[in-house]
Amino acid sequence: MKLSGRKLMTAWLTAITLLVTACKENNNSQVVPETGFDKTAMLTNYADSLIIPAYSGMQQQLQVLEPAVNAFLANPTAANQQVLKPVFKDAYLQFQRIAVYQLGPAETVMLNNFLNMFPANTATIENNISRGSYDLTGNLSVDQQGFPALDYLLFSPDAVQQLNDPNSANRKKYVQDLMTRMKSLTGTVLTEWNNSYRAQFIGNTKADVGSPLGFMINRFAFEMDQLKGPRIGWPFGKQSGGIVFADKCEAYYSGISRDLAVENLSSLKKAYMGGNGSGIDDYLVALKKEQLNTDVLNQFDLTINKLKAIPDPLSASFTNNPAQVDAAYREIQTLLTLLKTDVASATGVRITYQDSDGD
Amino acid sequence: MVTNGKSGSFSGEAWLKGLQRPVHIAPLVMFRILFGLMMFASMVRFWMKGWITELYVKPSFYFPYPGFEWVRPLGETGMHLLFALIALSALLVALGLFYRVAITLFFLTFTYVELIDSTNYLNHYYFISLVSFLLIWLPANRYFSLDVRLNPEIRQEIVPRWIVGVFRLQLGMVYIFAGIAKLNPDWLLEALPLKIWLPAKSHLPIIGNLMYEAWVAYLFSWFGAIYDLFIVFFLLNRKTRPVAYGFVLLFHLATAIFFPGIGMFPYVMIVSSLVFFHAGFHQKIIAFLSGLTGRSLAAPSYTSKQQHFKPYLPVLLGIYFLLQAAIPFRYLLYPGHLFWNEEGFRFSWRVMLMEKSGNTFFYVKEPSTGKTYEVSNSKFLTPLQEKMMSTQPDMILQYAHFLAETYAQRGIKDPEVYVECFVALNGERSRLFVDKTVNLAKQSLGWNHYNWVLPYRQPE
Repeated sequence: MKLSGRKLMTAWLTAITLLVTACKENNNSQVVPETGFDKTAMLTNYADSLIIPAYSGMQQQLQVLEPAVNAFLANPTAANQQVLKPVFKDAYLQFQRIAVYQLGPAETVMLNNFLNMFPANTATIENNISRGSYDLTGNLSVDQQGFPALDYLLFSPDAVQQLNDPNSANRKKYVQDLMTRMKSLTGTVLTEWNNSYRAQFIGNTKADVGSPLGFMINRFAFEMDQLKGPRIGWPFGKQSGGIVFADKCEAYYSGISRDLAVENLSSLKKAYMGGNGSGIDDYLVALKKEQLNTDVLNQFDLTINKLKAIPDPLSASFTNNPAQVDAAYREIQTLLTLLKTDVASATGVRITYQDSDGD
Repeated sequence: MVTNGKSGSFSGEAWLKGLQRPVHIAPLVMFRILFGLMMFASMVRFWMKGWITELYVKPSFYFPYPGFEWVRPLGETGMHLLFALIALSALLVALGLFYRVAITLFFLTFTYVELIDSTNYLNHYYFISLVSFLLIWLPANRYFSLDVRLNPEIRQEIVPRWIVGVFRLQLGMVYIFAGIAKLNPDWLLEALPLKIWLPAKSHLPIIGNLMYEAWVAYLFSWFGAIYDLFIVFFLLNRKTRPVAYGFVLLFHLATAIFFPGIGMFPYVMIVSSLVFFHAGFHQKIIAFLSGLTGRSLAAPSYTSKQQHFKPYLPVLLGIYFLLQAAIPFRYLLYPGHLFWNEEGFRFSWRVMLMEKSGNTFFYVKEPSTGKTYEVSNSKFLTPLQEKMMSTQPDMILQYAHFLAETYAQRGIKDPEVYVECFVALNGERSRLFVDKTVNLAKQSLGWNHYNWVLPYRQPE
């Protein structure tokens, strides 16, 4: 009796050891599933058709923006400001297309924070300029740079006058330093994706905290929170008992907030769908959540249309067309709930940006 | 169940006698050592992961347990010192040095930390608190300990069987209640939530592709339920014990691989379940360890004297286990759906039982001006706190009260707090969770049923 017990014990231990080692060693074998869903193919699609092209697009836009900015700085007239504006807008729109992909290398360098922390801290920016010395790499400097700082320095009501001031050398240099910083951050992220991160990204088909899938669904929730809060709700006065803070909205000075918000949400929809390839939508269908997927797609369209219905500039509509803003805001809230609660729940992804034990 | 009939009184008597039967103390001593070491490792892990700061320093608001509002975090240095104290006392418990003081200190400090914020409630933390409480009253340091080396007088090798049985009973209750909790339609008939969780594990080699199959979810669900309900009986039986322990290893290692997020729980169970092995098995390990230390701490200088236990001890333990048996059923006192309302959910060994997520929009209204202030939860809560609060009514209410206080301090007169909360349970579509017309600032916390939580509706 005792012997057979010991034998059984040995057999068990062997079986378990095999199970554990099998799990540890075969991590690289990628078998295309016959049933279910091919997550590797989905992630490959994200990397190759969406994320890497979006970052190279960002780099190209910045390369177009830089000479345009320099031309304006060399000859800062109101007319040249108008020439610069569409170039600036194109670059800013491109940012909205990378915003949802802040994971991996972009997360490491905090790309979104450095490129688009709004509202810009104009007082500190002015201080930096008059002092002529500043450090743009510290985490505290996020609101002194990027698109919001450019928006202020290039398009504020007295921007042309300031840049024509004979003592504006510091100001111009600051603008150029911002451009350099934006280009270098974007370049770092793109290089990382092209070099090593792509393989890491498509090779990790987990869904836990920190995995690509887990990260992306968390980013959907996060971007929706951003749209609901800083982009629309906060400047609209949702947190302040109805007192509008128009100048706290995105791209307040160039007045392109509405288009940026629309582009942000359209990009989110594109990310959700995986563009024309395999995306979260297909994953939901594979999980037999067709109705949820249909509802999410419809809610995207509805919300985008409500946003488009708000007259530009958004900052003026907060006071002049509150009904339209409110209508869009309500749809944003519904979409946020769908993504943050229903989609996260259906995919078994935890919405929490921190790691912890659970049971 | 064994008190009526002739055979009943006979076996009842035999059972009581069996409890008094002298057995070797080794299983209890090994349990003490392994528990101490595991707790020490847990504390080091917790510290290394930066969770002390993350969970007990960074938050600006904590969700206290009713009656324990006085339990507050102690600041960055204070919390780290507290964890150092827990780790130190765990180590002393393992060594059996100043045992009674160490285990009491461990129980108090560990439980204090757990009481700070119900966000961090985990069944296995509760288990650790309970086990350390039980250890306070038991002579786990009377053999193979530094206390015995310092004071050989206290050495004791033979104890009545119930002393060792305490942990077998405690562990058995954990398993069986976890099994009973799984006997619900979602788990058994729908294979939920495993049907949701398994496809997220398709990265696992070899078996990964199976994770999309419904039958696998059913197999896991039923195996889990049957395992929890019956494993104890196979662990108690000497003949089936080795195989049963094989199942313990298989089951908990599998959960550790599938759900790395459950942290130390599988290892706690694997190690604790060793207490079912008979004394001979533990004595061999102790003999081996003695060989390693080169000190014959365990050499048989046999004393036959039976220690007399304080008469209050069986009474205390009796009350304790009665409470333990009753607490998981307190949910029966509440109307509504247990998973939805979560009234009587905690402290009941309901482990990995549901997939529930939600989000909340809080609104603070000032009646005199009619102004509404929407709350940004991230200003007051960590992401983890927000996630936990969003699905648990008592936490929603605590947070609402906190908001009323906070906004009143900011100059809002008689703030009213409303919430729009959406919850998705077990993969169903999200639905409104709380009556959004109810001013939560005026609702009181307590043991009563919260009727401002909207009743659960079956999905269409």
